[in-house]
Amino acid sequence: MPASTSSLPRLASPRWPGNAQCVVLVTINFDAESVDLTETREENLYGRYSYGRYGMRAGLARLLEAFANTGTKATVFVPATDAQRHPAALDAVLQGGHEIGARGHAFEDHGSLGEAEFETLQRAHEALTTACGHAPVGWRAPRGLLSPATLGHLARLGYLYDASFEDDDWPYIVRDDDGRRLVELPQFQPLQDATFYEPRHSHVRVLKTWKEEFDAMHAEGTLVTLTVHPRGDYGSGRAARARVVEDFIGYMAARPGTRFMTCRELASWWLDNQPGTTEGMPPG
Amino acid sequence: MKGRYRWPDGVRCAVCLTVDFDGPSHETGRKLRPLGANSVGRYSGRCGMPRYMELFERHGVPTTFFMPGFDAECYPELVQEAHQRGFEIGSHGYLHESWELGDEEAGLLERTHDILTGLMGTPPTGWRSPSGRKSARTMRVLRRLGYRYDSSDKDHDLPYMVEIDGQRQDDMAELPSSAYSLDDFPFYRFSMTPPSEVLEHWKQEFDSLYHENGYYMLMVHARSGWGSGTPARARIVEELITYIKRHEGVRFFSVGGLADWVRENHASFD
Repeated sequence: MPASTSSLPRLASPRWPGNAQCVVLVTINFDAESVDLTETREENLYGRYSYGRYGMRAGLARLLEAFANTGTKATVFVPATDAQRHPAALDAVLQGGHEIGARGHAFEDHGSLGEAEFETLQRAHEALTTACGHAPVGWRAPRGLLSPATLGHLARLGYLYDASFEDDDWPYIVRDDDGRRLVELPQFQPLQDATFYEPRHSHVRVLKTWKEEFDAMHAEGTLVTLTVHPRGDYGSGRAARARVVEDFIGYMAARPGTRFMTCRELASWWLDNQPGTTEGMPPG
Repeated sequence: MKGRYRWPDGVRCAVCLTVDFDGPSHETGRKLRPLGANSVGRYSGRCGMPRYMELFERHGVPTTFFMPGFDAECYPELVQEAHQRGFEIGSHGYLHESWELGDEEAGLLERTHDILTGLMGTPPTGWRSPSGRKSARTMRVLRRLGYRYDSSDKDHDLPYMVEIDGQRQDDMAELPSSAYSLDDFPFYRFSMTPPSEVLEHWKQEFDSLYHENGYYMLMVHARSGWGSGTPARARIVEELITYIKRHEGVRFFSVGGLADWVRENHASFD
C-alpha cells in the first residue's frame, strides 16, 4: 500500500512576489553532446548525433540574443561534462547575467545510479563550480529521471531548489528527516519545446498552443515555467524556433502582472515567504 | 440515425462529462517512479481533481471520477471529500492495469472495490476499464460484486443493457465511450492539438450527436502532461459546458445517474 497524503491539496492561489499576477521562469536545458553520448561514442558524433553540437555552434547564441532583446534573465541547467567541453558557451551565458543550474555529470539516469548517486552529484557539483567560478544552487534531472534519494542528496549538498517535477501549479517545499529543506519549482509539459518538436510538430502550432496555455495560467495566477533547448533536433535553436521563443516571451511580458524571475530568485523568495507549503519527501 | 432514437422525459441529448483520475498508479504500474518527469500523475491529486470539483460545482453539472485503487490509497482524503460533496466515484483498476491480468484480475477488482467502499462507506456502482482492456471474465466479477454499470466498451454510441454469458441482464447497463474522439489523450499525447482546436472538435461531436438525439460521453484526465488537469485544458471543458447548456433538451448526468435512468427505462434501450 502506498503512502497517503495527510492533508487535502490546496488550490487557492498563493501570493507572488510584488503581488504579481503570475511568475514566469524561462529555463534552458543546455544539453549538448552529453545527450548524444548516452547513445553513441565520441567518434560517432556526426550526422544524426551532431544535433547537440548544433546547439553550441548556432542555437545557444540565438536564444541568448532573444533573451537580450526582451531583457529576460533565464536559468540555464548545464550537464557538467558539457560545461567542460564548451567553456566559451558557458561564459556567454554568464556574461548575459543568466543563472547556471546543475544537470548531472554526463547526463546520467539518476533513477538507476543507486549507491553511486551521491558521488555523481558531488562530482558534477564540483566540476560545474570550477567551470562557473561559483557553486550552482539549483538542479534539474537529466531526462527528468530521479531516484527517491535524489532530493535528499541535493539538500545535503546545500542546494536551494530542484526544478524537475511536473506535479503542481505552484512551488512547494520538501523537507528531509533531518529538517533540511529544498524548494521544488515544477515544470509544465505543454511549455516544453521538446514535447512538440520531438514528435515533429510545427513551430506554428507550438506558438499557438503556448499562447493558449499561458492565457489560462495567467488568469489563474499559476507558476509558468518555459523550458527550451538550444539543440537542433527537439530544441529551439533554429532561427524560426528561436523567433517563437522571443515572440512568446514578448506575448507574456505584454500581459499586466507578469513577473519574470530566475529560478534562484523565486526559490529563495518562496523559502522565506511560503513556509506553509512544506511537506515530506515525495514517495518514490 | 436522425430522430430515430427517443429519450424518455423529452430529453434530446444525455451528456456525461467524466474525469479519469489516473494518478501515480499509472507510472507505478509501469515500474516507473512517480518523480520528476514521471510525476504528472501526482498533479491529479494536488491540483487536477480539486480544479474539476470546483468547476463542475460552479456549473451545477454532476460528474463521475473514475479512480484506480492505488490512487485512492495515495489520496484518501480527496476521495472522501469528493464523496461528501456529492460526486460519484467509480472504480478504474488498481494500478491502472492496461495489460492482461489472467488469474489476478478478480482479486484486483475486489481490492479496489474494497478500498473505495471503505473510504466512502458505500460501494462504487460503476467501473471503467483502465485503457479499455476488458474481458467476459471482467463482467462476471463486476456482476458478482454488485456493479450496476460498466463504461468501457466502444461498440455503440448509445447506452444499452449488458449481456453476460448470453444472458441479457436487466440490472446492469453499458455506457459506451470512444477513446479516439471524445477523449483528451489522443490530442494531448499524439496529435499535440492546441486546446482551442480540441474544443472545436468536441463541439462538432456534440453538434452531430445532438442532431441525432444521441448521447455525449466525454472522458478527460485529471493529470498534467497528456491530461486535462491544467488550466488551459480545464478551461476548454468549461467552455464546452457553456456551449452545451445553450442547447434545448440537454440533461447532464453522472454516469451512475444515467445508468439508473437507462435501467429504469430499459425498454427504450434494447
